[in-house]
Amino acid sequence: MATEKNYGNPELEAKLRDRYLYTDDTNPEFLNDVKKVSRTIAHMCYQCGTCTGSCPSAPRSSYRIRLFMRRGVLGLEKEALNDPDLWLCTTCYSCTDRCPRDIAPTDVIMAMRNLAFKYDIVPRNFLKTVQLIYTTGHGVPNNDVNRSAREKLGLSRDPPTTHSYPEFMPGIQKIIDHYKLKENADRILAEEGQ
Amino acid sequence: MAEAKEQPRIGVFICHCGTNIAGSLSIEEVKEYAMTLPGVVVAEEYQYMCSTPGQSIIVDAIAEHNLNGVVVAACSPRLHEPTFRIATQEGGLNKFRFEMANIRDQNSWVHMHDWEGATSKAKDQVRIAVAKARMLEDLEPKSVPVEHAALVVGAGVGGMQAALDLASAGIKTYLVEKNPTIGGRMSQLDKTFPTLDCSQCILTPKMVDVGRHPNIELMTYTEVENVEGYIGNFTITLRKKARGVLTPAEAEARGIVGGGCNGCGDCAEVCPVIKPNPFELGMAPRKAIYIYHPQVNPLLYTVDFDSCIKCGLCVTACGEEKKAIDLDVVDTFEQVRVGTCILAIGYDLIPIEGKKEWGYKRYDNVITGLEFERLICASGPTGGKLIRPSDGQIPKKIGFVLCAGSRDNTGGVAKPYCSRFCCMYSLKHAHQIMEKIPGAVPYLFYMDIRSFGKMYEEFYYRIQNEGAKFIRGRVANILEDPTSKNLTVFTEDTLLGRPLSLEMDMVVLAAAIQPKPEAERIRQMFGVSKSQDGWLLEAHPKLNPCGTTTAGIYLAGVCQGPKDIPDTVAQAEGAASAASIPIHIGEVQLEPYFAQCIEELCAGCGMCVNLCPYGALDLVEKDGRDVMEVTEAKCKGCGTCGGFCPGGAIKMQHFTSPQICAQIDAFLLEGGEQ
Ligand SMILES: Cc1cc2nc3c(=O)[nH]c(=O)nc-3n(C[C@H](O)[C@H](O)[C@H](O)COP(=O)(O)OP(=O)(O)OC[C@H]3O[C@@H](n4cnc5c(N)ncnc54)[C@H](O)[C@@H]3O)c2cc1C
Ligand code: SF4
Ligand code: SF4
Ligand code: SF4
Ligand code: SF4
Repeated sequence: MATEKNYGNPELEAKLRDRYLYTDDTNPEFLNDVKKVSRTIAHMCYQCGTCTGSCPSAPRSSYRIRLFMRRGVLGLEKEALNDPDLWLCTTCYSCTDRCPRDIAPTDVIMAMRNLAFKYDIVPRNFLKTVQLIYTTGHGVPNNDVNRSAREKLGLSRDPPTTHSYPEFMPGIQKIIDHYKLKENADRILAEEGQ
Repeated sequence: MAEAKEQPRIGVFICHCGTNIAGSLSIEEVKEYAMTLPGVVVAEEYQYMCSTPGQSIIVDAIAEHNLNGVVVAACSPRLHEPTFRIATQEGGLNKFRFEMANIRDQNSWVHMHDWEGATSKAKDQVRIAVAKARMLEDLEPKSVPVEHAALVVGAGVGGMQAALDLASAGIKTYLVEKNPTIGGRMSQLDKTFPTLDCSQCILTPKMVDVGRHPNIELMTYTEVENVEGYIGNFTITLRKKARGVLTPAEAEARGIVGGGCNGCGDCAEVCPVIKPNPFELGMAPRKAIYIYHPQVNPLLYTVDFDSCIKCGLCVTACGEEKKAIDLDVVDTFEQVRVGTCILAIGYDLIPIEGKKEWGYKRYDNVITGLEFERLICASGPTGGKLIRPSDGQIPKKIGFVLCAGSRDNTGGVAKPYCSRFCCMYSLKHAHQIMEKIPGAVPYLFYMDIRSFGKMYEEFYYRIQNEGAKFIRGRVANILEDPTSKNLTVFTEDTLLGRPLSLEMDMVVLAAAIQPKPEAERIRQMFGVSKSQDGWLLEAHPKLNPCGTTTAGIYLAGVCQGPKDIPDTVAQAEGAASAASIPIHIGEVQLEPYFAQCIEELCAGCGMCVNLCPYGALDLVEKDGRDVMEVTEAKCKGCGTCGGFCPGGAIKMQHFTSPQICAQIDAFLLEGGEQ
């Protein structure tokens, strides 16, 4: 039988890395930041799992809202903000409806996303959404498939939104400019070479 | 009155309470300040004034300085007024020559970070106390005899145990139960954790003992209508609800010898009215004339006059010899006099249908733990066969939802507290299905298993060993398949970190518990407070768990807070012991804070008589004119009359107008000229 010692295999090295949680890994201010932005009692989570059990995203992805709640409580800022799962919440608020500790986990996720944005950690599709809203007023603008479907249903080709009232676009752009959203989205995408 | 006014000689004693007080204000400054107050002849400070050496300082100072008033600046009178009164007495003074300044709870604890402010406030407090101490008078507490009888309200296992203990201690005990039978919730249970003995089998002997104890007067189908009086002398009005059925004794009183109900049930057989039986939680029928179950005590039928159509068939069936049924009776009232009372009125489940996500009352096969008890019980509606309400099939996969509505801060029907026995009874239920149904698998959805009692953790081990599945995750929601009526339970296995959806044949909700709705009325009648969670409030959660803040009223069982049978029985025995003490002593001392009529000033207008909330005042004729007279034992010293009397003829002992004015002056004038 051929044997392989497998020394120096980077995959194995990764598996064998130190998993202890050290206090250095945590930022105690993170929980306070999350609470300030989310305005919910994030520190009161007792890890019951009702939120994940309610979450439509959980059975379809690796996203676990309860895990983010735990990271918040422990101050695991880096781990929370760098996890791409953070962006898989649909903001349906099912967890907020049912959390027995009366916490709003949805708002905790939104707070973490806001904090992540400060470090420029935002998935590309979110940034492109910003650009689309800036130009059309819609995250998902109308398209021809939709237009013909609307016509079949006896509706106007475009909905009574910015699509029909483009005169409201400057106002929307003003708000987005005020928060430098578009500017930042453009910058981050450019830095990524997009 | 005529004797020369004595010169005040006051001693002020300031306590550090370790660092509780001394850590937040300057004891030394307060002491120096006290010495400057008029009438103060000595001021001392000590680490713990309540300790034996601390009290000796007071006793010695009284003799050495010939004091006639003592002021202790320390904690609250509630905690240590009795302690310092005894010291005052030991020093040779009347014990009411004592005044307390609460510089801890009302000062150092609130102004922990304001040394200057706290010190100056303590000076104010001492000055005010000294002002009152200068005017204190000798008073004598009043002794009143205690009625040699007790009342127990509620005949669940708690009330029954309390009544048995009181009765066995030689005290006449009235045991009042609003239902037609005694037994309470425990008689609805099948088996009891952790020993798994049959609930009825261990309860029935107690029920029988209650029924035949010579010192217990059992009054079922009876409610408390009114409460008057105070410790030692309560007058309780009881409403005996119209039962429509005579006991053999009642029949004999009507001259029907050998008659009265013998429990044969001939009446129920012919009764045409069918209603749900509340004992079976509506899962079995009963007639308009009924008993809850075969082991009822007393074995006596009851007519439900809300549904009785007065057809009289039962009267005929009962027959001329027994003549036990009288459909024209009405509620009657009876007064009893007792020295002490124990409340043991138990609990209800919350209306768990309010937690919509679990579908109770919407889905056929979602039931409560209490319904499970009746369905698994051999004497229950299905003869002990656990079946699905939807189709009568035997369930194989059964989910148990723990903490259903407990430990839940979302408001509505939910309760923030732990209901304390549902973990254990869910383990018991898991065992029961594995024992009774071959191949049945229980799934317990839990957050923590709270198995805190003796042999409880061992019970948990046993049930896990028997094959129960434990899933650590609170149930998020349940959906019903409309055709099969099977249920899908959604949660997260928090230990795996994976969402879970499991199909079950039946789901049992371990619903939270709450106080009975009538607890509110009962507690107001007996003058008992409630804690923020709604349960009746004990006098002290640790040091006086059976007493209440109303002297002579005690608590037993779940009405004071969730507890299982062992804890209920233990508390009942504690309450019985506490309630028997005043009865055995035979007299109680009342604080002499009575209103006193100064007859020279009384105009006999009688306005105060109607104002008194306790009915303590009367107008009587003395020397040819009307004057007010106080029944001291009834007066609670509330001051309503004293504050009102237009002629200033009512003196509130120990809180006289001059004393209170002196305190106000001392505060407002900061010790300046009065
Ligand atoms: C599903 C379930 C299973 C359980 N299993 C177990 C177990 O296995 N082991 C265990 O230790 N514990 C168990 N328990 C807990 C147990 O039921 C309680 O600990 C126990 O019944 C408490 O007794 P109690 O006397 O305080 O109250 P209750 O049993 O509720 O009795 C109160 C009595 O007072 C009467 N009453 C109420 N109001 C008035 C009024 N105004 N006037 C006159 N009378 C009144 C009521 O009619 C009742 O008879 C279980 C509970 C549930 C819900
Ligand atoms: S439902 Fe609430 S308490 Fe439970 S794990 Fe989620 S956030 Fe925490
Ligand atoms: S709000 Fe987000 S985290 Fe909460 S249940 Fe919906 S998708 Fe899941
Ligand atoms: S006893 Fe167990 S199931 Fe009941 S509320 Fe407490 S933790 Fe939850
Ligand atoms: S978690 Fe590990 S140590 Fe604990 S009981 Fe299970 S196997 Fe044993």
